[in-house]
Amino acid sequence: MGLIELAAVKVLSSAAVLLFSTVLLMATAKRITTCVYLLAVQAVILTLEVVAAGYMEHVPEVYIIAGMVLLAKVIGIPYALLWLMKKLHTPHDVGASLSPGYSVFVMSGLIVLSFVAVRLYLQELHATEVMLAAAVALILSGAFLMVTRSKALMQVLGLMVLENGIFLAALVTTFGMPLIVEIGIVFDLLMGLLLMGIFVFRIRDTFDHLDVSRLRRLRG
Amino acid sequence: MMNFVMNAAQMLLLVLAAPLLRGVISKLKARIQKRRGASVWRPYADLWKLLHKEDFVPNTASAVFRAAPVIVFAVTVAAAAFLPLLHPAAFLAMDGDIFLFVYLLAIARFSISLGSLDGGSAFGGMGSSREALVATLAEAPFFLVLTALAILAKTASLSGIAAWTIHQDFFDVSTVHILAFVALAIVAVAETGRVPVDNPTTHLELTMIHEAMVLEYSGPSLALIEWSQAIKLHLMAALMIGLFAPWGMSETAGLGAVAVAIGLYLVKLLCLVVGLCVVESSVAKLRMYVVPDFLRVASALALLAVIFTAITKR
Repeated sequence: MGLIELAAVKVLSSAAVLLFSTVLLMATAKRITTCVYLLAVQAVILTLEVVAAGYMEHVPEVYIIAGMVLLAKVIGIPYALLWLMKKLHTPHDVGASLSPGYSVFVMSGLIVLSFVAVRLYLQELHATEVMLAAAVALILSGAFLMVTRSKALMQVLGLMVLENGIFLAALVTTFGMPLIVEIGIVFDLLMGLLLMGIFVFRIRDTFDHLDVSRLRRLRG
Repeated sequence: MMNFVMNAAQMLLLVLAAPLLRGVISKLKARIQKRRGASVWRPYADLWKLLHKEDFVPNTASAVFRAAPVIVFAVTVAAAAFLPLLHPAAFLAMDGDIFLFVYLLAIARFSISLGSLDGGSAFGGMGSSREALVATLAEAPFFLVLTALAILAKTASLSGIAAWTIHQDFFDVSTVHILAFVALAIVAVAETGRVPVDNPTTHLELTMIHEAMVLEYSGPSLALIEWSQAIKLHLMAALMIGLFAPWGMSETAGLGAVAVAIGLYLVKLLCLVVGLCVVESSVAKLRMYVVPDFLRVASALALLAVIFTAITKR
């Protein structure tokens, strides 16, 4: 009993650190597959976080949300992305327009920025500073990945990171949203992935590559 | 008295066991690559052989060439005196010795670069210019990592930081420590010339850094350089253990506690060595032009670690 509680507290306190390290690693990653695996790791951390929060707050329905997150984000989405990569026969590099070294610098800046931004609203929202900052940092770094990586698949991946951030922000500010809202969000996410998957296929078929930075001319 | 003996013993351990560490690493690497590998005592035999050979000096070389190996060795051994190993107090310890430690190693690099330039071969000059590039880029993160830990421990001495860390809860994962550890690991790889940055086993590549510098040295001079390189590897490993995992160091000077401390130290060292060997066997050497990018990652992480000491108050 005491041990489980201790584990839950530790998960809550150290999850932010691990989330930071996943986004920093994503900034250094050179292959899309590495990023996909990191995304899965990120989702595992989120799942643990949800379970820990549910345990601490004694809200049983949170476990259902944790199960959905596990199914959708840890297994479903990474598997779908890897499947997409296999089907597309696309080169594995992320098409970085900013070298890994500078990306990490920018990412560190974003993490610091999120701490500064969160501090202003800390009184109104009754959440721990680190977790909220981690949520904002995930949102910012997802957007950053979308902007600086030119492969279409990386844009999908950036969106997933961004969504993880929004999910985390909802979790730490409200301690679990209503179940129905959560189901809606996960369903939305899966539909989004489906649409973007179709889009990626269309881009590949029309242009023979997935490099978004080369999509300059309209073609019928 | 007992404390003094222990302090002297841990410094001697750092210096004398260094070739053995090298031997263990190459043996383990050979095993991972499905080779038999040489005996772990081979580096000692190599040193013995080199010490009994003739010392050839190029015609163009001056006194700098002869002095460099001696300076390198002396400075590296001096740096070893500042590291806590078996208990959280070093042979020499004072407030601010983190700065001294970094710059003792910098003196070593400076003099070996000068020596290889003085040797007069084109390879030596190339090697030392590359070494200078890596050194300048690795110095900043190295320094920032130590600074971040010093801010946390509120003391600028390596022994002080170890003594502070030993009283912390192991399970309290601190952001600063994780960031600093990763940054220091990258710096250690660059400083000691291990695989992603430099290949320690090559004498044939055009991309070599350290080996290009020592190409002109032979006999006892080469022995001193090789030995101090081995000590440096051991120093970086001991630094990582002392700063990030000092738990198990004996705070009393009893025999049993010391035995436990030595045993735990060896276990921690073995963990680091296995990690190093796996990385070295599975990762390809970086192109020379990608090395600055690799070190830039370390700089960013170290900078973040320093900023985090201010953000997360603990």
